[in-house]
Amino acid sequence: MKIWIVGERKDGELRRVTAEMAGKASDLGEVTVLEVTGLERPSPRAAATALAAKAAAESPDLILIGATAAGRDLAARLAAKLGRAYAADCTDLAPAGDALEVRRPMYAGKIRATVTVPLPAVVGIRPNAFPLRSGYALPAPLAVAADPAAEGLSFVRFEAAARRGQRPELAEARVVVSGGRGLKGPEAWTQVEALADVLGAALGASRAVTDAGWRPNEEQVGQTGRTVTPDLYVALGISGAIQHLAGMTSSKVIVAVNKDPDADIFKVCDYGVVGDVFEFLPAFTAAAKAAKAGS
Amino acid sequence: MKILVCLKQVPDSTVRVKVAPDGRAILTEGITWAISPYDEYAIEVALERKDADPTTTVSVVAMGPARSRDALRQALAMGCDDATLVTMAAEEVGGLAAARALATLVTERKPDLVLCGKQASDDDQGLVGAALAEALGLPHVAMVTKLEPADGGAHVTKEVDGGHEVWKAPFPAVLLVHKSEKEPRYPSLPGIMKAKKKEIPEIALATLLGEGAAPPAVTVTRLEQPPARGGGKLLTGAMAQIATELATLLRDEAKVLS
Repeated sequence: MKIWIVGERKDGELRRVTAEMAGKASDLGEVTVLEVTGLERPSPRAAATALAAKAAAESPDLILIGATAAGRDLAARLAAKLGRAYAADCTDLAPAGDALEVRRPMYAGKIRATVTVPLPAVVGIRPNAFPLRSGYALPAPLAVAADPAAEGLSFVRFEAAARRGQRPELAEARVVVSGGRGLKGPEAWTQVEALADVLGAALGASRAVTDAGWRPNEEQVGQTGRTVTPDLYVALGISGAIQHLAGMTSSKVIVAVNKDPDADIFKVCDYGVVGDVFEFLPAFTAAAKAAKAGS
Repeated sequence: MKILVCLKQVPDSTVRVKVAPDGRAILTEGITWAISPYDEYAIEVALERKDADPTTTVSVVAMGPARSRDALRQALAMGCDDATLVTMAAEEVGGLAAARALATLVTERKPDLVLCGKQASDDDQGLVGAALAEALGLPHVAMVTKLEPADGGAHVTKEVDGGHEVWKAPFPAVLLVHKSEKEPRYPSLPGIMKAKKKEIPEIALATLLGEGAAPPAVTVTRLEQPPARGGGKLLTGAMAQIATELATLLRDEAKVLS
């Protein structure tokens, strides 16, 4: 099977999901890693036009694209342009005769589906779905030049989000520290950020928090927000509405801190602390720092 | 401005979705259905344009079984001007086929803007909007949070990693909505009364699809509930002690702290 991996860069580096996909795909067939060049900003139509021209000449059986925000956008447009089957947000894939069998979430993460995808196809792969393959060296990506004018839109301006430090992105992060209404107000995030700094974590929030304007929308975890699958998810003062749980129950390890022992978040957690989140935060920040230092 | 919003009716987001015994569909008995949340945001974004300029018209179209009429009725009650139901024999249609059918409708109606939710909260594929733009040969903007008229088109705000981009989209264009600035409005009582009286015409999917082979689509073969979590460890004692114990457990037992 001829497999293309479409890489994506962040701050000049290929995103981790590129290597995750390529390592997995190397089990299934002959892998070519590509990246679209010539576009200053993610431009799905322009990128799809360039990739489709190359695909017409080379007929890959399978095109894998990381399911980041930009990747999802590109993958859908590319599948449509090529008239190929498309499966979004896959967490596993295996050959099944002439087709591919993939696993993917549906109903905002409340259901897991097994889906048959006829080949040739475009498939989106969730970050953190596959471990990095040890001993696998990601080949240098082949450049596919795109023409920004093919987008048919003109870029006006970029508005940077305020209050954003050097944190990993929510959808890709290995650790997420998330806050809910139990934190009582935006001031509490000074302490949340201190913990996130120690853990190298991305910041998340419940919908109540982003709706109240305590935190920006892009931090919302759950249905109508981001779905996250980190190794560690720390839920602070989050009660665990079903829409929130749908977005984070695939995390490997969940820590929940809430003063209400009946909160639904405790039904999905691996480690639970029933208590005052404001007592927990400084104590755990110090303890995590010490544990990481190996003492 | 003429806006067309495409919507889908899905299980309400508060519903605990259960799998049917055959493992291939969900149990629909007793489910509360609703407009897919992102489509509801798209309606709000469209209606805010209408609030600002009353000459704006907002049409809605849904594709799906007869129950989808309720979703359209809801959109009318929120303030949309007219609604159309695209009926089909099967419960579901592939994303590329849905896009092809909608493209026929858009070509007939000639809206300035087509708004779709970025994905429907049932299959969560997020394919139809981009595929519709592709079928029409138009640009699309995904992750849209805001829309303002600008000379001959619109300034469209798109949520991206680390902030927002603003793009100028010429008319016509397809916008895939992620969120509205304000929460979607509730229908007013007069809105509900007015909506009740409106006709909702039907068009058969087959009419819109026209000739030609069906585009490729994926097939769902099995649905499962996510494995139940639980059996979590509750830590008790003084907070300082809990914190140390938790950090040690995360490092040595769960191996997620290194």
